[in-house]
Amino acid sequence: MSAFVTPTRTLISQAQLARPLGRTAYWTVFWVLIALFALAFLFPLYWMVSGGFKTPQQIIQTPPSLLPTSPAPGNFATAWRDMDLGRLILNTTLYAGGALVFQLVFDVAAAYALSKLRPVFGNGVLFAMLATLMIPTTVIVLPAYLTANDLPFTHWSLLNTPWAIWLPSVANAFNVFLLKRFFDSIPTELLAAAAIDGAGPLRTLWSVVLPMSRPILGVVSIFAVVGVWKDFLWPLLVLTDTSTQTVNVGINQLHVGVPENVFVAALAIASVPTIVFFLFFQRNIMAGLTAGAMKG
Amino acid sequence: MATINLTRAVARDLRAADPARRGGLRRKLRRNATAYLFLAGAVLCFAVFSWYPMIREVIMSFQYTNFAGDTKWVGLRNYQRVLHDPDFWSAWRTTGLFTLFALVVGYAVPFALAVVLNEIRHARSYFRLLVYLPVMMPPVAAAFLWKWFYTPDDSGLFNAALHAVGLPSVQWLQSSHTLAVLCLVLFSTWINMGGTVLVYLASLQGIPGELYEAAELDGAGLLRRVWHVTVPQTRLILSMMLLLQIVGTMQVFLEPYIITGSANDTTSVVYLIYQYAFNYDNYGSAAALGVLLLLVLIAFAGGYLWLSRRAEEE
Amino acid sequence: MRLRTASRVALATGLVLSAAACASSNSGSGGASADGKVSITVGCMPPTTQAGPRANWIADVAAFEKLNPNITVKGDDSNPCDDPATFNAKLASGKMDDVFYTYFTDGANVVASGQAADIQQYASQIHGLSDIQPALTNIYKQGGTASGDLYGIPKGNYSLGLVYSKTLFQKAGLDPNKPPTTWDEVEADAIAISKLGNGDVGYADYSAANTGGWHFTAELYSRGGTMVTPDGKSAAFDDANGLAVLQFLHKMRFTDNVMGAKQGLQYNDLLQMMASGKLGMYVGDPVTLTTIHDQYNVSYDDMAVGPMPGQAATLVGGDGYMFNKKDTPAQIQAGIKWINYEFLTSGQGLNFNYPRRAEQKEPVGLPEPDLWTGATAAADAAAMAKYANMPVANFATYVAALPSMKLLVEPPQAQALYAQGDKAMDAVLTDPNADPQKLLDTFKAAANSILANAQQ
Repeated sequence: MSAFVTPTRTLISQAQLARPLGRTAYWTVFWVLIALFALAFLFPLYWMVSGGFKTPQQIIQTPPSLLPTSPAPGNFATAWRDMDLGRLILNTTLYAGGALVFQLVFDVAAAYALSKLRPVFGNGVLFAMLATLMIPTTVIVLPAYLTANDLPFTHWSLLNTPWAIWLPSVANAFNVFLLKRFFDSIPTELLAAAAIDGAGPLRTLWSVVLPMSRPILGVVSIFAVVGVWKDFLWPLLVLTDTSTQTVNVGINQLHVGVPENVFVAALAIASVPTIVFFLFFQRNIMAGLTAGAMKG
Repeated sequence: MATINLTRAVARDLRAADPARRGGLRRKLRRNATAYLFLAGAVLCFAVFSWYPMIREVIMSFQYTNFAGDTKWVGLRNYQRVLHDPDFWSAWRTTGLFTLFALVVGYAVPFALAVVLNEIRHARSYFRLLVYLPVMMPPVAAAFLWKWFYTPDDSGLFNAALHAVGLPSVQWLQSSHTLAVLCLVLFSTWINMGGTVLVYLASLQGIPGELYEAAELDGAGLLRRVWHVTVPQTRLILSMMLLLQIVGTMQVFLEPYIITGSANDTTSVVYLIYQYAFNYDNYGSAAALGVLLLLVLIAFAGGYLWLSRRAEEE
Repeated sequence: MRLRTASRVALATGLVLSAAACASSNSGSGGASADGKVSITVGCMPPTTQAGPRANWIADVAAFEKLNPNITVKGDDSNPCDDPATFNAKLASGKMDDVFYTYFTDGANVVASGQAADIQQYASQIHGLSDIQPALTNIYKQGGTASGDLYGIPKGNYSLGLVYSKTLFQKAGLDPNKPPTTWDEVEADAIAISKLGNGDVGYADYSAANTGGWHFTAELYSRGGTMVTPDGKSAAFDDANGLAVLQFLHKMRFTDNVMGAKQGLQYNDLLQMMASGKLGMYVGDPVTLTTIHDQYNVSYDDMAVGPMPGQAATLVGGDGYMFNKKDTPAQIQAGIKWINYEFLTSGQGLNFNYPRRAEQKEPVGLPEPDLWTGATAAADAAAMAKYANMPVANFATYVAALPSMKLLVEPPQAQALYAQGDKAMDAVLTDPNADPQKLLDTFKAAANSILANAQQ
């Protein structure tokens, strides 16, 4: 049992666990936890999927049945078609991808400037950015909405365009902060060497700083994508056209009048992309998220 | 996230004023111009979508704006109106209760779970994977799912579960205000705790094993080891998560919006802002309430900073 | 400086693209071009979740454009059609569709906002305008009175009645073709149904998500009361009528014990209770039957609709179209043509193409929308009867009573008032010791503050 060869000792010592009493306690706790986790985190998902297979009468039946007695897989097709889930998922992917690109370009550039180019008032700018961390987006959602609806000077409206998601996502002080902290840790000598070789700031950023920053870029990317995928209030306000909406908003706007069983099927479909994405990239995501949070 | 450390880092940065920037004026100018070009995109986005709306929020809280676009100054009238609105106090009560429950359920449970999980030597990825699954669901889909679980009649999942163990059914969202808020907190914990558990696990793994050994040699039992080693060693992350949690739960919106739809007086403060602005066309009151919420959040963070600084000095 | 160029290009493309997007989203305004072609954007195209109506709309647009080759109709399928989250902001910034969708409750606000076009001079082009119920057209007139200029066209409406379960009436020994016509009879019948036992609930009512306040209003109207004073400045429901509404519900809930233990109900809950066969009566409109039928496969034979008890007045709600003030005269006239075609001609369009509806198994035979009076109404009813696919007799008492009832629209600031009304409704239905008068006073104070707020 290789798992037992943990090098670090934790709360309970190896010796304690090796005793018969310790072993019994360990395995009891272990199996209870296995069952508890399955019940708390897998069963709701099972209930959702099986609910999507139920007939209209079966889904309001008392008591509910564990299995769909006469499975109606057509619900999933109906949900996909009627709620236009393909488009919602595609839209969200587009917004998340765009937000990722914009944040990587603008926030990396800003963090690099603040960390390595250090202009006058640079600290003031950084402070003003970090101050927004204290101002939750929900609090300023109304003026931000009015601004997006009628941009200063130009009077353009970003409503129902991807820009309404992409540009505000750049104003992400946490990501700027993470990037700047990481860039700070890159020795100045390296940059100086690059400068002596005649590299301008952009070359230095591209060929010295960025290659060293892969881990933090990964973290920032995950934050950018997950942020867009989970956001609700902002896209609810700025994406009013059905054809432009995200998964979260679309489900909320279209649920009225959809039969319960079809709706539950729609919820199941809507959850698939991110869960599959997660299963594929779980190692990176979990490592990135913990690293990001610990850094803060 | 991590406001406290940020603030400290900023202070450090500000103090560490760049060591005399040598070089000619021209070079200096060029360096600054380049730097600001790099900054331009982000600064513009911050200006338009954060800084300007912030200022505008404060201005609007002293104005009356109607849907036809007429604007006039009304002094403190919006604030008076908000403070006299019974919904205002009810929204704070709900938000406060939510925050309180979230402290008990959403803060303590993930930590306890992480401590236990850290002792488990098998199937580690099973636990991590499962606890993180809900985090990856679109929150609106998850909220609707739970709303369905909370179905008050006996066709609902939770009531069926109660029946299975011989308990009578419960009205969940439609029973008492307290239980309705608790229902929202349970959902909120379910969908959010994956992230917190993972953060705690990471910080637990950083505790040096010798500390536990030393404590054990001193004859400390299991609980005393938790109290005297685990908690102090994770204090920084614990206190940070506490602030984040409070600041986060004070802004709860999605849960009451989707799950209860403000029934049973479960309108939260941010939901009330939404209602003022978009249901009652009352931008002034919405802005005033936003400013009030902001003041409360700043007070929280300020108090936290002050406490943590004092703790550090001791 | 490659990055500078790159980011500049990115920024510039971004701005250009978004400018283009802004332009295209407004393409309707000024959509009349030199060659006489007119293009209009029209709100409330059925969304993808309503595949049948959506296909019909698309087919109708094609047919309409064939008839009027110079007009292009572009549907806007945003859902809900009138989203409170954005309605006012869109209105204030002039971003409404050329022909935009409104609820009756929006009518007065929109006229006051100055963002809608006065269409009085085109009134003669509106099909059968004189036969549309005056109570409905007045909603879209300046000042809400017959003498004001016209700003919009009603297209659909509902009136609340009493939905009841014929099955449970039969089981309880009541006449399933004779619904109660007074609140006292409602009480007696509810008692009879609750006596059946096995969890059957005689009567149920809302108290959450603003539906409680909505039903309070309807039940107040039915007793002859009104929500606000004629000038719209203060609450007018704190009187004997308002008190009677709350006292009645409290008595039904706790003395008669015929409303079941489950409270805090909102829109779909009553429908679901009816679908499960456990509910005797609720206040609602005929279209709720189609929801119950479609979503839960309940037979139309099991349910019927009677008139609103009291029969003095009932709450009417509905929707219609208004015109963006930026519209050109050609666009307004094109919009009217489209509305005539799609919503105002018996025998065609989304609601009145009975042969098509019957063929598609859409419900035919509902007494709503109930737009017309006089000869047009009679002709439409006859056309509908031919294709009816549900037992029309189940609406007979409801239809017979409507002409003699006053049709009252919802109060100003309806949603805000309803939210407060929920609290009074919830209290009388959940607190055995609730004091209806005290609840009414609290409700009134909150309502007055809301109304004063709206005036400023």
